[in-house]
Amino acid sequence: MSRGERGDGTGGGPSADDGKRAVSTDRALRGLAVAATVVTAFVLLLVLYFPVGLVFAEAFGGARPFDSFVTTLTDPFYTGVLAEVFARPLAVGYHVDNVLSWFGGVSVGLDGIDTPPLRKGLFGFTAYQAALSTVASVAIGLPGAYVLANFEFRGRRTLRSLTIVPFVLPGIMVASGFYAAFGPTGLLNDTLALVGVGPQQLIETNPLFVVILAHAFYNAPLVTRVATAAWESVDYRAVETARSLGASRRRAFRDVVLPQLRPAIATGALLTFLFTFLTFPIVLAIGGLELATVEVWVYHRLTETLAFEEAATLAVLETVISLGVTYAYLRYESAQRAASPGDGPPREPLFGRASDVAGSPAVGSRLAGLLDGRRLAIAGYAVVVFVLFVGPLAAMVLEGFTDGSGFTLRHYEFLLQRQATGASFQTKPLPAIRNSLLFAVATVAVAVPMGLVVSVASTGEGRWRSLLETATMLPFAVSGIVFGIGLLRGLVFGVSLAGGWRFVITGGVAIVAAHAVAAYPFVVRNVAPQLAGIDHRLVESARSLGASRVRAFLDVELRLAATGLVAGAAFAFAISIGEFDSTVILASDAGSYTMPVAVERYLGRRFGPAMAMGTVLLVVTAASFVVVDRLGGRVERG
Amino acid sequence: MRRRAFLSGAGSVGALSLAGCLTQVGGGGEPSGTLTVATYESFVDSPSSSPGAWIKDNFEAEYDDVTVEYVTPENGVTNYVQRRQQGASVDADVYVGLNVDDLVTIDATLGDDTRLFREIDRDFVPNAEHLRPELEFGDPRSRVLPYDTGYISLVYDEGEVDEPTTFADLTDPAYEDALLAQNAQSADSGQAFLLWTINEFGTDGYLDYWRDLQANGVRILGSWWEAYSAYLESQRPMVVSYSTDQVFANVDDLPMSRHQIGFLEDQGYANPEGMAVVEGTDNVDLATDFFDFMLRGETQAEIAVRNVQFPAVTDDQVDLEDSFAQYAFRPPEPVSFGYEELEGNLSGWVEEWARTIASN
Repeated sequence: MSRGERGDGTGGGPSADDGKRAVSTDRALRGLAVAATVVTAFVLLLVLYFPVGLVFAEAFGGARPFDSFVTTLTDPFYTGVLAEVFARPLAVGYHVDNVLSWFGGVSVGLDGIDTPPLRKGLFGFTAYQAALSTVASVAIGLPGAYVLANFEFRGRRTLRSLTIVPFVLPGIMVASGFYAAFGPTGLLNDTLALVGVGPQQLIETNPLFVVILAHAFYNAPLVTRVATAAWESVDYRAVETARSLGASRRRAFRDVVLPQLRPAIATGALLTFLFTFLTFPIVLAIGGLELATVEVWVYHRLTETLAFEEAATLAVLETVISLGVTYAYLRYESAQRAASPGDGPPREPLFGRASDVAGSPAVGSRLAGLLDGRRLAIAGYAVVVFVLFVGPLAAMVLEGFTDGSGFTLRHYEFLLQRQATGASFQTKPLPAIRNSLLFAVATVAVAVPMGLVVSVASTGEGRWRSLLETATMLPFAVSGIVFGIGLLRGLVFGVSLAGGWRFVITGGVAIVAAHAVAAYPFVVRNVAPQLAGIDHRLVESARSLGASRVRAFLDVELRLAATGLVAGAAFAFAISIGEFDSTVILASDAGSYTMPVAVERYLGRRFGPAMAMGTVLLVVTAASFVVVDRLGGRVERG
Repeated sequence: MRRRAFLSGAGSVGALSLAGCLTQVGGGGEPSGTLTVATYESFVDSPSSSPGAWIKDNFEAEYDDVTVEYVTPENGVTNYVQRRQQGASVDADVYVGLNVDDLVTIDATLGDDTRLFREIDRDFVPNAEHLRPELEFGDPRSRVLPYDTGYISLVYDEGEVDEPTTFADLTDPAYEDALLAQNAQSADSGQAFLLWTINEFGTDGYLDYWRDLQANGVRILGSWWEAYSAYLESQRPMVVSYSTDQVFANVDDLPMSRHQIGFLEDQGYANPEGMAVVEGTDNVDLATDFFDFMLRGETQAEIAVRNVQFPAVTDDQVDLEDSFAQYAFRPPEPVSFGYEELEGNLSGWVEEWARTIASN
């Protein structure tokens, strides 16, 4: 409710009556805030801390509580060369000798640097591929943010909305798309054959490279999205000031723009690292066991060999590392100076002659060459993006429309027929679409207030703030498998209570709760930095003018953090649509499966219908993101 | 069809399971009520080609007051193992789609005191006497009746590679970067292939053989389907699969030259699927009636064609469709491990194998 409405409603200026009403609504609002906090704490406890704690507790089940950790850390299979360090932490001289002799083996020759083999272990390899994936994602994602923030062209907003789509696609489907696009007989090779280039054996010769590309497929758009949002709110008056004081274009960028972008880039990199550190479906599908990560190992221990103690030990170590990285990042973030929200760079038209853009004709002709150079680079980038992102998706859509002999609609016919005549135990397309959208909307409704509550709680000062924030980032740091198994054993199977009662949750409510828990950290990551950056004098002025704390929060802080809130909501929506691991476990009754679950269920011998269902997922989610973003845009402007 | 792995104990025969019968509850009279059958997705998933719907319709037609209901638990039987472990209820009367490795893992996880499946009294399943002895699980507690079997073999493209006939062939330079296999932790076909190599090279030699396979560029993917779809995409000319592959190739009109069956050492690893009664169910009578129905010749023929697996009963009991007989191949020498050989060994073998493959 805006102030304007309130004024109009009473048909005059502020009166005593009006004041009383404001106080009573404030009281109601404060009650609401308290209720939201209590509900948030309850949901986190029930759906996050309890199930995860249940799995983690297994890690301490040995004869002595830390035995399993010692065993794992001193096993070269897990920790590589570090195993010796963990086994004999005090033999410093011995370890130093080892490091020196390793460096002694390094030789620099004509072919570059040659290093002696270094055993990385499962953890080392996991971190290594995550680091490579992060570098690739930032390198591919950042130019996208530059284009989206600095240029105007038809479809820019739509493109910006669509950056979130890869995020929601099930891993197995993307892997199929990568095969169909980059395999020996894939789309890429078919295209290359047309121009006379021989077949490329990408997946065959370098699976690690393909795994990293697939990780970039998921995470580069995330980097783009986060960085675009930051770029669009850079205060460009400062750039103009710098320029008017004689700074070169490059200098102004480095000293003014980059510092304001850095936290966002770091956020994108951090999230990419966490997600790829905990990766498993992509590795499993493309890399196979030879590129196994810790998470792949945990997955097999938990779901196939049922070795819980070992799995839980690995999961705890994984989480400790992820939380450590998160904590380091949050310390860094709080050390960054808060960005003052601006309107971003003035956008140039991407198409059209350079002289139309530049201010004066003289400067225009001088700049024309430079600008065309930039546009050339953008065109080159567009080709790369097209191959990497549109390739797998196009290949997947094509698979839905073709069979061995050519174009066909029979895969879609199958979906229609399944919808019309399917039995109760079969997976139908329409309920999947309906459930997906329903859960996504409900997730936004739960996760956004939750995220807001947590953001406010963690917007304090100093070291404790970083610790608290790290704790609330737990869903990022806990693997989906651990979370899923915890939910299964804790909530779906139920917990015995006194008096023979069993506490059991399943169905839609549990799914929404699980999605909200997975999604709220995104809201926090988008809102908390903005809240922290708000000039406190604004809040204080509001208070001194008689606004209550809640009222000041709603009217001042919340409005200034609106962009972050909308971005967080879009992520919450995306998380819910794409979530698979816990949904499939919680969707125990036939009525609560979602689109990704349906795709997964159709994949079997029915490649075509699965890809057709994948296409439906793609279309429905792409359409809903355009809608979400457009609605969001309205909120941001209003 | 979800192709699940596993195997038989040659030698431990059905007769053994008659020892120590449990008495049937009730007995006599027309059974009634609902029988909840837990199984894997592809067993029920397509009404026209999965066995599930046919079995339900025909069983219900025979027993007027009986309803068959299917459930497909996520992660199959391990879901029920965990439920039992946590003291949660198991919402099924029978489980269809069990392998010997499942049984070994169940016992290793639950220990001796907790039961997931109960002993079957074969006196009440007359058709069980037609079971082929080599498909029996060798379960010391007689909990499982096999109902069909597949054989693990190689499937290859004869336009790309010559027929592989020995295990040594696969480590030959001629087959460099040619083979697609599956993860023995997650794929039944992968585990069957691993056990086949253990059968061939022994527990002392199998890891060396796998190192050689790795050196020759074997690629190991997570599930049978991932490996097989990579094969269909022509990524590689050879895949670990099933000897019934041509039945699918025929249905899907795929070129037979790309679906040749290779039996290494003239062997194939037998991979029978079984069914068991859930401990604690009130429907034991109905369950045994259901099992007898499953093992009837007519049902066996239908399961074979719809599930694309071989029947579990002797040939004289079943009339198979010509197309099935033409395109489904049996290995000259089926091999497999039984319960006794796997008990106490399986998890260690798989673990060592996985560590060998994943070492980095």
